[in-house]
Amino acid sequence: MLYIHQHTCISPQQTFADVDIESLKESVDNKLKAFEPAYEGIPHGILRRMGKAVRMGVGAAIPILKNNAAIDGIIIGTANGGMEDCIKFLNQIIDYEEGLLAPGNFVQSTPNAIAAQVGLMTKNKSYNITHVHRGLAFETALIDAAMMIKESPGSSYLLGAVDEISTYNFNIDYLDGWYKKETVSNKDLYGSQTPASIAGEGAAMFLVNDKKEGASAVVKAIKTLHTQDEEALKNEFKKFIEKTSFTNNESVILLSGENGDNRLLKYYSACESVLPDINTIRYKHMSGEYPTTSSFALWLCCHILGCHQIPAHMNKKAKKPEKIKNIILYNNYKGMQHVFAIVGNCE
Amino acid sequence: MSRVFVTGMGIISAIGDSVSANRDALIKGRTGISDLTLFPTKYAGVLPCGEIKTTTDSLKEKLNAHEHGVTRTNLLALHALREAIEDAGLSQQILTSGDTALTGASTVGGMCLTDELYHDANKSDNGSEYLASYDCGSVNIYLQSRYKIGGIINTINTACSSSANAVMYGARLIKNGLAKRAIVGGADSLAKFTINGFKALHILSDEKCRPFDNDRKGLNLGEGAAFLVLEKEEDVAGKRVYAEVTGYGNSNDAFHPSSISDDGDGPYLSMREALNVAGINEHEISFINAHGTATENNDETESRAMIRLFNTPPPFASTKGYTGHTLGAAGAVEAVYSILSLYYQELYPALQFTLPIESTGLIPQLSYTSASLKHIMSNSFGFGGNCSSLIFSKS
Repeated sequence: MLYIHQHTCISPQQTFADVDIESLKESVDNKLKAFEPAYEGIPHGILRRMGKAVRMGVGAAIPILKNNAAIDGIIIGTANGGMEDCIKFLNQIIDYEEGLLAPGNFVQSTPNAIAAQVGLMTKNKSYNITHVHRGLAFETALIDAAMMIKESPGSSYLLGAVDEISTYNFNIDYLDGWYKKETVSNKDLYGSQTPASIAGEGAAMFLVNDKKEGASAVVKAIKTLHTQDEEALKNEFKKFIEKTSFTNNESVILLSGENGDNRLLKYYSACESVLPDINTIRYKHMSGEYPTTSSFALWLCCHILGCHQIPAHMNKKAKKPEKIKNIILYNNYKGMQHVFAIVGNCE
Repeated sequence: MSRVFVTGMGIISAIGDSVSANRDALIKGRTGISDLTLFPTKYAGVLPCGEIKTTTDSLKEKLNAHEHGVTRTNLLALHALREAIEDAGLSQQILTSGDTALTGASTVGGMCLTDELYHDANKSDNGSEYLASYDCGSVNIYLQSRYKIGGIINTINTACSSSANAVMYGARLIKNGLAKRAIVGGADSLAKFTINGFKALHILSDEKCRPFDNDRKGLNLGEGAAFLVLEKEEDVAGKRVYAEVTGYGNSNDAFHPSSISDDGDGPYLSMREALNVAGINEHEISFINAHGTATENNDETESRAMIRLFNTPPPFASTKGYTGHTLGAAGAVEAVYSILSLYYQELYPALQFTLPIESTGLIPQLSYTSASLKHIMSNSFGFGGNCSSLIFSKS
């Protein structure tokens, strides 16, 4: 069991300070860009040199580390890290024909720069790792944290994920058919009935350990899967649900990673068909699509389990349960990488 | 928690395309560092590298890997993985099973295709066939889809210590009951991105690298891939067992984005943690496969950390003088070399060494010799202060 004690999120919605997710911020040109705070607590000279991914990651981590400097490790998931810096350096290589280059962008571009920068700023010399397994980068980080907690009872970790929209990864994923050709507002994302989604970005950070007392949520189970076959997916999801001990559906909801891509609907339908009577809510119209949106989803779970309020714009199959005790998350990335998780309250 | 054993190995590097070819080169002290002949860069003939002298097209033919968007990194990974699973005798049914994990590492991924990436990232029409192949995760996603591996799949990037962490993650999956077996390793190919990146940091040598030598001039980049098959104790009866994975440690130096602190805090802590996990004391380590990149900073700080922990360090050497620095593959490549030493009870000579570092006086293992070896430590340190140490023990 992995208990979450603090959760922070920098996202395209108002999730960082004065949280308000009732009102929905709108996408521009098929992009939902993060609202970045003023980043108090990061020295100006260091902030200036940070790329956006590092900045968002460190910015989301600081409120957690302020009160918990002596954590036992930093565990980050990011598919691409500082993609902007990466391609800036690549462009210099080509444009200057491998001439004399400044190393700044190169050093900032390595995906482990986020965990490294957090470690450096807090002088934390303990376990430090970066998982980069594309659409499951956050999930494998979470599994890592769960193992660490089991191996060292009483230990606490900073667990989180970051990915950014850069011009370059937007171009690459657009060319590969993962962002919509026509302009679609996030408000109309699920009705679009066309291939592809809209781009998003963000950072979510969590303080996790094995202490139930005072926790805001608990991750009870998680399973990752690689498949393109919706029947295989459905069978695995069924097995996953059967292992849980839910006696009725009253206090359970499904949080779906549906993203407006009509090619991927079959996977979401397959999972929803396993739980026909359950309320379903969605989140990608808030976050946009990127490889580590499940970290945004986990932040949402913590928030919803804490306040028992679900904004109307999230409902797919409405009928609000009395009190939400468990949230089942299903997400998939590019129709290939899937995750199921159960997040519960701690009462 | 179950004990974890190595039952299969596969490797391709500048010194050979199989475990036996690599061992042969190590015994004979034959370096793989040379002038670049296949890789197109302005630095061919200027900066020697550990280049694998097999073209990407020949690798595709040899491996029958003609899928859309396959990169050189994918091919090197596939080459090593195939040897490892055949060596361990893992059947297709076992690979597909939900308790078979794959944890690999890469820092370059498909970025070896610098020119294609430049085109695709900066244009918005006519994408290349490699659009889904650039990220680090693409390598293991390719291996998973090729073999339909059924368990947890992961990719780790902690720069130059990446694949040591992949070995550690796989071993922990088994110990935590999340997998019965794990295929663990890493792959990286030469890329303009890394050559120019390390060049910009002024840490590439224009001659063959000289780990732990007082007059070392920097590192040589290399390319390669290596995988180990890890299985739990209950499942290895009747199988050939190369070694046991007994210890691992991961620490952050928390000092500087691209260099290690003077006293080598990160290296010291990762080595000490690995000893703690293995439950042995420092005097029981028979040999250290050092990170030893031959940069000014690494070799001096690693030496200091070894002296700090061991007082008088055991025999040690770096194999970077054979393969160059294979970055995200280095931890796995050197895990294979450490395990070969244990299994055959032999040590391989350090290359290009003449004079010890003045301030530390440490002299690496200089000749091929048979030796009685019980526990071998393998170090990998990376940018971002990411330090990891593994311990393999004679089974």
